[in-house]
Amino acid sequence: MDLATERKINHDLLRPLRQTSVWFFLLVALLGSIILTGAGAWLYQLSNGLVVAGIRWPIFWAFYITNFVFWIGISHAGTLISAILRLVNATWRRPVTRCAEVITVFALMIGAMFPIIHLGRPWLFFWLIPYPSERQIWPNMRSPLAWDFFAISTYLTGSTLFLLLPIIPDFALMRDQMTGWRKKIYGVLALGWQGTTKQWHRLEAAMQIMAIAIVPVAVSVHTIVSFDFSMSPVPMWHSTVFGPYFVAGAIFSGIAGLILAMAVLRKILHLEEYLHPLHFQNLGKLLLLMSLLWGYFTFVERLTTWYGNNSAEMAVFWETQTGAYAPLFWTMVFCNFIIPFPLLAIRKLRTITGTVIASSTIVVGMWIERFLIVVPSLARKNLPYTWASYRPQPVEILITIATFAAMTLLYTLFAKAVPIISIWELKVGMHAPPLLTPEEQEQQRELWRTRP
Amino acid sequence: MDRRQFIKISAFTGSSATLASCGNPEYHLIRFVPEDRIVPGTAVWRPSICPLCPAGCGVIARVMDGEVEVLRNGQLGLTRMGLAKKLEGNPDHPINQGKLCTRGQAAAEITYHPDRVGHPLKRAGTRGDGKFEEISWEQALGELVAKLDALAAANDQNKLAILLRPERGLRGELIRQFATRFGAPVPLTYEFFDDDVLRRANALSFGNHQLPTFDLAESRYLLSFGADFLGTWNSPVAQNIGYGEMRQGRPGSRGKFVQVEYRMSQTGANADEWVPVKPGMEGVLALGIAQVIMKSGSRRAGDAGPAGMLIDGWAGGLAEYTAQEVSKRTGVPAARLERLAKEFSEQKPAVAMIAGAAVAQTNGLFNALAVNALNALMGSVGTPGGVFFMQGGAQEDIAGGPRSANATARSLNDRQPLQEELRDAQVLLIDGANPVYAAPRAWKVRETLTQLPYIVSFGNFIDETSALVDLILPDHSFLESWVQSMPESGAKTAIVSMAAPVMQPLHETRATGDVILDVARRLRKPLELPWKTFEEMVKAGPSPAAAKRVPDRAKPQEKAARRPLPGGEARKFAEPQFNGDANEYGFHFLPYPSQALLDGSLAHLPLLQELPDPMSSAVWSSWAEINMQTAERLGIRQGDWLEITSSQGTIRVPAFPSPGIAPDVVAMPTGQGHENFTRYATGRGANPISILAPVVESETGALAWAATRVKITRVADADGTLVLFAGSLRDYPPEHPHR
Amino acid sequence: MTHRWGMAVDLDRCTGCEACVTACRTENNIRIAGPEQSARGRAIAWIRVERYYEGDFPDVRVKFRPVMCQQCDAAPCEPVCPTYASHHTDEGLNAQVYNRCIGTRYCANACPYNVRFFNFGNPVWDRPLELSLNPDVSVREVGVVEKCTFCVQRINAGKEQAKAENRELKDGEIKPACVQSCPTSALVFGDLNDPESEVSRLSRSSRGTKLLEDLGTLPKVTYLQRQS
Repeated sequence: MDLATERKINHDLLRPLRQTSVWFFLLVALLGSIILTGAGAWLYQLSNGLVVAGIRWPIFWAFYITNFVFWIGISHAGTLISAILRLVNATWRRPVTRCAEVITVFALMIGAMFPIIHLGRPWLFFWLIPYPSERQIWPNMRSPLAWDFFAISTYLTGSTLFLLLPIIPDFALMRDQMTGWRKKIYGVLALGWQGTTKQWHRLEAAMQIMAIAIVPVAVSVHTIVSFDFSMSPVPMWHSTVFGPYFVAGAIFSGIAGLILAMAVLRKILHLEEYLHPLHFQNLGKLLLLMSLLWGYFTFVERLTTWYGNNSAEMAVFWETQTGAYAPLFWTMVFCNFIIPFPLLAIRKLRTITGTVIASSTIVVGMWIERFLIVVPSLARKNLPYTWASYRPQPVEILITIATFAAMTLLYTLFAKAVPIISIWELKVGMHAPPLLTPEEQEQQRELWRTRP
Repeated sequence: MDRRQFIKISAFTGSSATLASCGNPEYHLIRFVPEDRIVPGTAVWRPSICPLCPAGCGVIARVMDGEVEVLRNGQLGLTRMGLAKKLEGNPDHPINQGKLCTRGQAAAEITYHPDRVGHPLKRAGTRGDGKFEEISWEQALGELVAKLDALAAANDQNKLAILLRPERGLRGELIRQFATRFGAPVPLTYEFFDDDVLRRANALSFGNHQLPTFDLAESRYLLSFGADFLGTWNSPVAQNIGYGEMRQGRPGSRGKFVQVEYRMSQTGANADEWVPVKPGMEGVLALGIAQVIMKSGSRRAGDAGPAGMLIDGWAGGLAEYTAQEVSKRTGVPAARLERLAKEFSEQKPAVAMIAGAAVAQTNGLFNALAVNALNALMGSVGTPGGVFFMQGGAQEDIAGGPRSANATARSLNDRQPLQEELRDAQVLLIDGANPVYAAPRAWKVRETLTQLPYIVSFGNFIDETSALVDLILPDHSFLESWVQSMPESGAKTAIVSMAAPVMQPLHETRATGDVILDVARRLRKPLELPWKTFEEMVKAGPSPAAAKRVPDRAKPQEKAARRPLPGGEARKFAEPQFNGDANEYGFHFLPYPSQALLDGSLAHLPLLQELPDPMSSAVWSSWAEINMQTAERLGIRQGDWLEITSSQGTIRVPAFPSPGIAPDVVAMPTGQGHENFTRYATGRGANPISILAPVVESETGALAWAATRVKITRVADADGTLVLFAGSLRDYPPEHPHR
Repeated sequence: MTHRWGMAVDLDRCTGCEACVTACRTENNIRIAGPEQSARGRAIAWIRVERYYEGDFPDVRVKFRPVMCQQCDAAPCEPVCPTYASHHTDEGLNAQVYNRCIGTRYCANACPYNVRFFNFGNPVWDRPLELSLNPDVSVREVGVVEKCTFCVQRINAGKEQAKAENRELKDGEIKPACVQSCPTSALVFGDLNDPESEVSRLSRSSRGTKLLEDLGTLPKVTYLQRQS
């Protein structure tokens, strides 16, 4: 790789950090105001109590827990995928990993807020944390909510490390490229990176360890989130399939979220030369796999319920299949399977546009899926006299919208501060011998020719 | 110092510190001397009597001390006093034996109600706009006395009218004596769901003008024609106690219960067999059963005695009432009728009862007489497991006793409508009755009252009627007063219960009994009443006058001789008549007493507003029950707005399709639809009484409140106005049965 | 011997009159939700009488079933609480410690009987209705879950009374408010560890069933089925 190419990479990828258009400020202002509205809604809820939300007896969980599960699910995009791709040494991963790992960290942060937002007495949330209190009471370790605390905090720590480790060389690069206060900040963040062989070796080793360790953590996190439901004797919650179902759904929605993020980055930051249709193709294939897996799990879950014909479960079953929640259910099936499947399965359609359309419907569909897991079961619990229906209230809707704005804002700010594609990894990739088979190379060339 | 003490002390110092620290008005309040000798934190139980319905259940109130802001001699201040915390049934009371119904347990809210009238009020605006100003008791009593003196001066004593809620106790007796001494006509009584038709029937059949008492604990078969005896009718707690024993009190012998009605009541929901019947045909069904029994030969017509002789054709074995014929008229299959008759005659002791809509038809008296004859035929009158008449419980039925405006017995078929009775009054005293709300519009009670020169109410609350008055002299709540009651049913023995106040008054109210006595003394020509206070009267026991009203059951003939009952002759069945053409008004309209709010007199209690209705689970709402298939046919779903129109007017109310109601019936609970009755009831729901036609029972002249026909129109989609506590009407849906 | 409190509900006696519902409300300071909040599912009833229609006109029947906390021995609400607010007492009651509750509402979801209720806001009594509050029962603040306690204040008072009089508790001496009020004596309360107690006798009845027994929650409330 020649110096010109390196310069170009540096220039292209550091450009967003150096140039700021008025659109950036407009976007930040817009997102910021949405988030402030959401924060205002939360303050309103804090001062009035959950009386302002739509939850009721006996549907005590709804939008907030839906958001919780959804965002924890989205978080599976990054770290898990990036770790797997690293482990199998898929070279095409290089431009993808960082934008994926960022999603994980931010989605986890947002998701982890919801258990607190939804509390009746959120000011006492720290009772969920095991700390030596004067009352000598520890959290109840039998409670899946306590497991949640450990799972999420572990995952958040791990994925933050996983994100930050490979940025260190890039921080060093920026330290060297930037001037003034930025140089100072990046200098601190670079942790004294000099690019010595020893440092490279340690980084590689650390990344290897993290990549191996984070996979089981990620799988366990969403399994434990599923335990919040499947540990209760609630119709259609109490299911053995929930662990893998949740993990599959999480990766599914995560990849969809990643594809959307990549498409937006590619467009706005003009990264067409780095994020190729190949990346969307490959992720599209993964998404197809997950869509099939999701469809399989959904089918299995429904079939076993229907065949088992337990009266309490059947009440929930019919309510989602043909009853009040049926429109949502079938929208979900359309969004998660019927629309994405052809778009992803037919090679001609598996373009950037195709995968983006599929991903958009999947993100919507997976949010609905989370909602359909949480609410209908509570609305149709064992004693029909207590059946009820849920209507979200403005606070819940505003806070939900605000989380999407928060995700976008955090992502935008991150992309403003850190190159969203790992510069050093990209450069390393260019030195590497081609890993593609001749056939693949041919294909790739084909694709590059069709590049707009 | 133990934990309790610590908490007490810290709570005390804490509250004092709070009081001292902020600029609360409480800080400036003076402290009165404690009014009660109660050990803090220690509960004492004091007896009283539930005032909510005439059943007269004995209650005990748990009294604990508390700090209360009160007015004493015009001065606001804090005092420590005993406060009634909870009401329970009095275990020593023979009627309710320690139990209490859902309404009775909410009765303490009357005392603590935020919208209670705490001072004498004088009308400030024009009549009807509901504006009052607070005045002193001196001024208030002075004004009333002046009005009465003016009547006496003009020799218009008979222009003083008094309207009461039917009440069996000394309070009514005192007011009656007051009226008599003053020279006024005897007080009128008014209550929407009164039982005068039934009392009349019992007087005719058995010589007892009173409500029956049932020995359900000993019954093995109970056949009820529309009587909501487990919910709201007669003496529900006593009847519930008996019912429980009938079902499971005797090992191996479970009594069977059959309910005949056309809208399933909470009582009907408990029946082993629920038998729908055409409105007004209950008597025919009873006679059909009697006919089958007599035909079988197990009982003879003569067994029914005089009660049978009141039915045309009885002596001949009711030949017209063949099972087939009765089946056609009532809608009850002939085979079922024959089986029921067989069971009824074989399962002894068996008893029948009738009440509610079955006697609120134009032929209500006939229906009641038919059921009475059936009981007499089975020998179920006065025998274990049968029907009794409580000693000392008979109610006056002839001029001279408190007349009921609804079914005045002054003379049959010669009843003056309520508004006629009141029209000429110069001064009207109202105690407990709310006829503006609880009488059909056609009676024009509001218009009549608006015309009257001077009206005084003793109510605790401003309701539709007391909003029209000139002066409100608020009563103590029952917990703050001496109370006395002589119920007419509910136990086999005669009962007089009395109790001292449970607690000191919260407001500047005065016991109505004392006010009446005070007024009697203050008149220019004081009335001679032998008591200074109501307490004295209660302690003196039932007066000779009241005692005289206790009939001697041993001498019915003598009684009959004293008061010959017009119409001891046999009665022919007459088709029930309904107001409204059946083609135009396709539905029978059934207002029924709400389990929580009764006739609406309890709609001001939030505890009862929030009590889920046993059948619909509705709270804080009005609704109209309609048959499920009918609703489906008309495209009506739960909560959809209906317009219910009778010849008298239209109300709008959300629909509640239910499986337990005949296809041509619309039923509505009474109780809501108050225009003016505290913050909890005002403007909530619709009042079914307002569209009732003034149809009367043909012989007694009592309001036939189940004889109005209506039409319904679906006018709007459900909008959440109908608030249901619960979800599904049914257990797991039958379309997805479990294996 | 420790007590093991239990209840028997004779559905053949129960008439759905709801005396128990109001008795419970007044004893346990249960808030009035008001019409707006009731419409939004915030009404609280520690005991409710469920009503189920069966069949269609004219062959209609109704089942009434009072449902209160079943005080399960294997209570699903207990393990899921992260703060031990919901826990099992020595006498087998499922206690709810309001102070310890942070309002995850997990217990309420896990409870198959839906007898747990949440305080969506702070309770308000229009003055002077608060004067009727029972000083023996704490008022629940915003954000905590509450439920039937078997009137634990009455249980404790009864035990203290017996202790003060230096005697054993008598069967039937302690009555929760619902049991006390029930006009048909459909509700019976007592010690399941005493085989002679009325509630033990009834719990052994051939008519006895547990609500949602197949969930394995081991309820201490026995329902005696109707005989028709």
